[in-house]
Amino acid sequence: MDAARALFRWPNAPPPTSARPAEVPRWHLYLLALCFVAVSTLVAIVVEPYASIEDEAMIYLLGDTLAALRFDPKLSVFTALLSILTCDFLFIPPRMAFALTDARKTLTFLAMLVVAALVSGLSQRLRVQEQTASRAAQANKTLYELNVELSRSPELSDLAAVTKRRLQRLFGGEVLVLLKDAEGKLERPFQELTAAELALAEGAWLDGEFSAHAANGGHAVWLPVLGKSEPLAVIGLRLSAPLDPRSEEGQLLSACARELSAAIERMQLAQAMQRAVLAAETERMRSSLLSAVSHDLKTPLAGIVASGTTLLEHREKLDPQVSRSLVSTIVREGERLGQVLQNLLSMSRLESSGVRLRRTPEAVEDIVAAALGRLSDALALRPLVVDLPADLPWIQAEPALIEQVLLNLLENALRYTPPSSSIEVSARTVGGFVALKVADSGPGIPEGERDQVFEQFYRGSQAKKRDGGVGLGLSICRAVVRAHGGEIGISEREGGGTVVEFTLPLSPPVRVPAAAGCCEVAV
Amino acid sequence: MTPRPVVLVVEDDREMRGVLGVALRGRGYDAIEAATGRQALAKLREAPPHLMILDLGLPDIDGVDVATHVRHEHDLPIIVLSARGEEEQQIRALDAGVNDFVTKPFREGELMARVRAALRYAAHGRELGELQVGDIRMDTVRREVSVNEVPVELTPTEFKLLHILLSEAGRVVTHHQLLSEVWGPSYKSEVQYLRVYMRQLRAKVEEDASRPRRILTALGVGYRVAH
Repeated sequence: MDAARALFRWPNAPPPTSARPAEVPRWHLYLLALCFVAVSTLVAIVVEPYASIEDEAMIYLLGDTLAALRFDPKLSVFTALLSILTCDFLFIPPRMAFALTDARKTLTFLAMLVVAALVSGLSQRLRVQEQTASRAAQANKTLYELNVELSRSPELSDLAAVTKRRLQRLFGGEVLVLLKDAEGKLERPFQELTAAELALAEGAWLDGEFSAHAANGGHAVWLPVLGKSEPLAVIGLRLSAPLDPRSEEGQLLSACARELSAAIERMQLAQAMQRAVLAAETERMRSSLLSAVSHDLKTPLAGIVASGTTLLEHREKLDPQVSRSLVSTIVREGERLGQVLQNLLSMSRLESSGVRLRRTPEAVEDIVAAALGRLSDALALRPLVVDLPADLPWIQAEPALIEQVLLNLLENALRYTPPSSSIEVSARTVGGFVALKVADSGPGIPEGERDQVFEQFYRGSQAKKRDGGVGLGLSICRAVVRAHGGEIGISEREGGGTVVEFTLPLSPPVRVPAAAGCCEVAV
Repeated sequence: MTPRPVVLVVEDDREMRGVLGVALRGRGYDAIEAATGRQALAKLREAPPHLMILDLGLPDIDGVDVATHVRHEHDLPIIVLSARGEEEQQIRALDAGVNDFVTKPFREGELMARVRAALRYAAHGRELGELQVGDIRMDTVRREVSVNEVPVELTPTEFKLLHILLSEAGRVVTHHQLLSEVWGPSYKSEVQYLRVYMRQLRAKVEEDASRPRRILTALGVGYRVAH
């Protein structure tokens, strides 16, 4: 195996952080047992003048019991035997001799032995239970944290990264999480894995079984992450010690794999649902687009063709005023057709994925002037108020799109309000935005419809009564404004009428130098 | 009787070419037509017209290349026809020396106003000394400017900007052109400099700076002085 390309560069890998604390050498414990007996003896000697022989035995029993709480049964019995011998030697007559003459004393010593064995047995079982419980709690905590972190990950690659980091912390060594690639096969990171390792990973993937083997001075483990119907990923681990899949650590590893599997499936399900919703939405859009477009294109076309053919057929017989009105119908309807097409083009551009706005610092008054200029004929008959503060900051915007927003709003104002009613265009700064307002004094839009009118192909109840509406204008306004990071909304004008207000972000400030060779300060 | 000015219409759509011919003749011009870039260049060699109307979307040669080519050999004004949303192409054409552009669809009156302005510009050319466009008058020697007979105080930068716009009156001057002439070529992307000074300039020469009548904006492209 090519050591440089091997997945697991063992000498550099961090040591396992979860290794058990090192065992205390056995002879240390025996020394400790001796200490217990020595302390008991010391106490016994001190209290001897005031105590009976039974009391001395009790002192040793106390010492033994305390020792038994810490020791395993073997060591406890050893301590107890040592105590009995010492007690017998020092305090039971005949003193300074190992002799048991009294049956009652024998019973006491026997009791000491049994108590030591029992206490140590019980306390050991308690300790084991406590350790198991704490390890289980730790494992649960680990799984819970993994679960939380997985559920917060937005992407498949994040799931892999989170799992990798967690496992690395748990088991040390090196961890690799291989996901399914676009073709449904296991991804093959050739830079990180040797051919042999890839074969093992593929084996775990295809067989769906845990595989472990010793390699490169360590122990490698390949664990498949299985979904309900197919393998989803493979986890590779390199550990210092072999890992038994039935051990607690092995169980924890498979539990982590199950968490990962659940997270991947959850994500896949969510994505599938999103795709389904999107597909349905696209389908709905397409059909409404088709009907709206065919209506909005056919209506002006019909006008153009009818007027044109009338002119063609009856040219000589027509009153000059009538032919003039027919010609202006052709022009008006043609321009309307152009506006519909422009709206459709902008919409498709804004909706195509990855659209990039060509945003530059722009002066609001320039854009307003351009829009008003385009509609100068229609606006000539209207009282028009333009209120733009002289110190309005620049906005960051694609000017043609903002012009289109204004055009759509102004055309709505022209179309749906009485012929001589006034229109007002104004702007002000609000925080980091410029808020632009187009207000008319028409019938207004009922409160319940003020959000709906921004929906594509929705036409207000007032609009339906008249011809010519596009049903696309306001939705484009919203798409444009939102693409710029602003918002758009409708409110009622004081004294009746509609106010459409939208915001656009300011452009970042710059220091402006004077012309080359000039020395002046911008005022 | 002065000869009628000759306008070369370069447009691949036959209907559009026909309509433009009718409109131009109706306004007292002589119209000659070309359907491709090659034809246009051939007609130019035969007899140079007074003005060229050039559609940017030609089947054989890129319209901007035609304009560049014509600019090298002839000094006639060029008006470009382009579709909306082709600002980048418009700017390229203007930077290549085209006088003006009109976006399709346009009204006859709009195009004819540009034709008149471009021909007038060609007749005057860039002048030194006294410049008068509409009611703006500039004395480049004494560095004095008056609007509607009222003297106006301009800073050197404002003066430079207005001077360029006035001497190119009737022409759209792009942001790039203004920036590199006033601030230097390395500043030609700093559109914001222009906006700052243009606002100051308008505050001084316009009655209502929020509805400019004298210095007009070609949105996303540049500025022009109304002729």
